[in-house]
Amino acid sequence: MTTHQPVNHTSNNDSTIAEQSKNQNNDNKRANYKAIIEVDSLSFSIKNNAILKNLNFTVGSGEIYALLGGNGAGKSTTLKTLLGFNKPTQGSVRVAGKEVSKALDFVRGKTAYLPESATLYPHLTARENVEYFLSLADINKTDEQINAAFKRVALQEGAWERPMQTYSKGMRQKTAIALAILREAPIFLLDEPTSGLDPVAIDEFNQLVRELALSGATILMVTHDVYGACQVANRIGLLRAGELVGEFDAPENGRIDTEQVHAAFAQRGA
Amino acid sequence: MSIHNFSKVVIVAKDEWRYWLRSKLAMTVLAIGLLLTLSSVVVTAITMHELSHARHELQSNAEQSFVDQPDRHPHRMVHYGHYAFRTPSPLSTLDPGIDAYTGNSIFLEGHRQNSAMFADQRQGTALTKLGSLTPAFIVQTLAPLLLILIGYSSISRERESQTLSYLLAQGTSGTTLIVGKGLALLSVVGLIIAPLAVSALFTMSAGESLLAVTSFVVGYALYLTVWVLLILLASSVFSKNSGSFTALAFVWILLCIVMPRVASTSASTAVPSTGKIETDFAVKAELRKLGDGHNTNDPAFKQFKQSLLEKYNVNSIDELPVNFRGLVASESEAKQTDVLNQFAEQRMQAELKQTQVSRYFGWVSPMVAIRSLSMIVVGTSIETHHRFLRETEQLRFDFVQGLNKVHIEKLNYQDDMNRNANAAATQKARVSADNWQILQAFNFTVDSANIRAQRSVPAFLQLLLWIAVLVGGIKFVGKRLS
Repeated sequence: MTTHQPVNHTSNNDSTIAEQSKNQNNDNKRANYKAIIEVDSLSFSIKNNAILKNLNFTVGSGEIYALLGGNGAGKSTTLKTLLGFNKPTQGSVRVAGKEVSKALDFVRGKTAYLPESATLYPHLTARENVEYFLSLADINKTDEQINAAFKRVALQEGAWERPMQTYSKGMRQKTAIALAILREAPIFLLDEPTSGLDPVAIDEFNQLVRELALSGATILMVTHDVYGACQVANRIGLLRAGELVGEFDAPENGRIDTEQVHAAFAQRGA
Repeated sequence: MSIHNFSKVVIVAKDEWRYWLRSKLAMTVLAIGLLLTLSSVVVTAITMHELSHARHELQSNAEQSFVDQPDRHPHRMVHYGHYAFRTPSPLSTLDPGIDAYTGNSIFLEGHRQNSAMFADQRQGTALTKLGSLTPAFIVQTLAPLLLILIGYSSISRERESQTLSYLLAQGTSGTTLIVGKGLALLSVVGLIIAPLAVSALFTMSAGESLLAVTSFVVGYALYLTVWVLLILLASSVFSKNSGSFTALAFVWILLCIVMPRVASTSASTAVPSTGKIETDFAVKAELRKLGDGHNTNDPAFKQFKQSLLEKYNVNSIDELPVNFRGLVASESEAKQTDVLNQFAEQRMQAELKQTQVSRYFGWVSPMVAIRSLSMIVVGTSIETHHRFLRETEQLRFDFVQGLNKVHIEKLNYQDDMNRNANAAATQKARVSADNWQILQAFNFTVDSANIRAQRSVPAFLQLLLWIAVLVGGIKFVGKRLS
């Protein structure tokens, strides 16, 4: 059995985990990734209420980073800040080397965002949805290319021309991923992507995410699902009350130990 | 906005139309809107065409009837009277304005100024008194409601279903989204206005000017643009469809129902006008001081009699070369008319001031602005009605004094005094029917297009100010949305 070790990036008041987190091998492995998402000393407050506190983490090309935390931990706020919907109170957020607030169009053009409930337009078919969003992004794709993307995300062929109001959540997620693939977005921001999916759909989704990472995509997902995060992520950041209190790296050719993460998650009451 | 961004705006607008075409509610509302506008345009056009034709005929009949009267005593013709009809302006097929309330004809007779009568709203049944379904009513009151029903969720729907953040995250700006939705709503405005514009253009064949037609169509386009902007603003500000709809319904009630009534009430409070009964009593009291023009021995004409005797250097009225009774009637008519005109002008000035106060409310209600603009441009405003009253009064005074002149010059005083002695004397106190030709033909025409356009400038400015403020608000909200 592979040993999984949490790495540093912890808060000062969590010395136990911090001591365990020093793992030179994992640090070396991370150095292989080219940092695409860089969160540096990020704080965000609303009316003196600190939502994010001094967050520091990076996500590299080909990496799947899961930001794990309970309700109200600041996961979605982090994603929204990365998309430029929130202006940092302190610190900086860079995507593909550019400051988000100064290059909003550039960042959004490079990013595929999947909200928790990727409803898209219920009155449109999957194809119409994809064509609409692509036309807004000035991207021309042939029917064959769109079909290929649907096949890649394993969206049943019979559903392509059906209004999306008849779709399950998993099918909607697949359509949104197909759109992201067609947009050739190198960065994926996923908000609770497997929430509400059945186990088969989760497996299919995880497989798709892994394939995207293998093709070089940078993937940041936020979730409260410990098991799901461990299944797919190369690295997990544990978020509690807006603070990054620990990070866990997957070993070479292995997965992050679910029990260890679960213990830390429970211990911290994240 | 660059061509590149505009193409995105068009994409958003096309998608909005696709949404409407697949939505039963939107299609139903659109169909109802178009049907109402079209039917009201057709029905009102037919009604007004018939009215115009009928009034032309009535006017002609009234004039013919007057000149066809047999030989009579001229003063009997003064009391026989005459009718003057107001022919509706060509554009009034689209907005009857105050014509429906003020009446369209006046009975003209000696010594009296009658009110206009046969107002559609007065002679209608209890139900028709609630107001007709005219094109102006449809576009002023119902079209905003239809636009609200179609567009209240244009932005809030995207927010509620999370497609807004999805769209924004894909790089589409909030401004592009709002402008695109606005373009779609403006195309609905175009559909609503199209029947109105076509009908307005048709009025040119009836003599209406291009300036008036353009002002009319542009005015309504601006008004509905205000509503499109209000809808976009509310839909962008509220995060829930229900919030947007409730706010817009409240705004519609406030601007279309409450404010016009507040404007009328404020106008009548700010410029109080005397009631008709009080005015009639005051007029009668003043007229009584002038004496009875039918009675040559009335003390009020003693000085007049003396001045005539001196002027003609005679000792008695029997020696006058003209008919003294006719002279008294003419003198009395002139003095009475002065008094009547004085009261009429006071009333018209009060009405005009009240209208001005009411029109100021256009700065706070686009409905008040378009109502004023529409009536002014169409030629069914209070100013046009007052001109009708003045012109008919001039017609009345001219024909009454014309008859008095005939009385003075063509009827011997002695014959006049003996007119009731016997049948032969009565016959002798008549003048030839040829004298009835003094009646001038009456043909009321609406003010020139230039005058109407000038009068409508403040209302145009009110609508433009609304648009400027709302565009500013939407720009601000669009940036925040992004």
